[in-house]
Amino acid sequence: MPQEISREELRRLVADETAQLVEVLPASEYREDHLPGALNLPLRRLESDAREVLTPARPVVVYCWDTA
Amino acid sequence: MTDRAETPEQMGCGQCGGAIDGCEFCGESECRCPLCYECVNTALGQALAQPHGHGG
Amino acid sequence: MGFTRVYDYVAGKLDWLAAGLPTEGTNAMRPRAADLARKDVPTGRPDEHLEDVRARVGAAGWDACVVVNEARVVLGLLRAAQLQGDPAARLEAVMRPGPSTFRPFVSIEEMARFMIEHALESSPITTSDGRLVGLLRRDDAVRAAQRGQEKGGGGGDQ
Repeated sequence: MPQEISREELRRLVADETAQLVEVLPASEYREDHLPGALNLPLRRLESDAREVLTPARPVVVYCWDTA
Repeated sequence: MTDRAETPEQMGCGQCGGAIDGCEFCGESECRCPLCYECVNTALGQALAQPHGHGG
Repeated sequence: MGFTRVYDYVAGKLDWLAAGLPTEGTNAMRPRAADLARKDVPTGRPDEHLEDVRARVGAAGWDACVVVNEARVVLGLLRAAQLQGDPAARLEAVMRPGPSTFRPFVSIEEMARFMIEHALESSPITTSDGRLVGLLRRDDAVRAAQRGQEKGGGGGDQ
């Protein structure tokens, strides 16, 4: 189960530990707006494609639109 | 002879028709195109939740 | 999956946008409320007197003042009519309390349209926790929206 983090913790992880950001929303929403440097892995592809596009040794931060 | 108290006419949101006390965009009680809080947020995309599969 | 450190930013993109932080993507290239909101809008504390604030507002060339607390959370608004009030009055007594506020990421085209329809001269732009980013003036929003349309930048809207 991923650990929940705040916005400030996210910024620290990116700045200090080269965390990889992953937006799990559909591609069309990712194209409109995404966090700087974030990759797009829609939820249905997350399990299958994560190993190909992400580096296991680096922290990974996933996000979507909000808490809903 | 007693006068019946008149009920003030309830303002309705111009978008959804819901009862409101004043326009949530401009704050005026006599706005000619009043909107409720939810309709303002939806129109401006301020709280638009995107549909997605996981529940957290 | 072999990933040992996985985190969930549960507040999500909405939280990030509402904080006025930069993003990438097609929307990021279009002007948003935070880009045009005037950061130099005069502010005042609720316990200040109108006479103190009026001079400051006039000297800065403004006709509006945003009333904020120590944390810069918006409490109220003073427009021209309120600024003409009793000089001895405290701001909290004459301000328009709890004005509608709008998020930094709101589209300028939408704000311009709404501000024209509602004859609103200016709107406070705040973060999701109510802190003032700046005051968006209708004229600025309309000009930016017109520039956007002239460039044909209306694509993507549905």
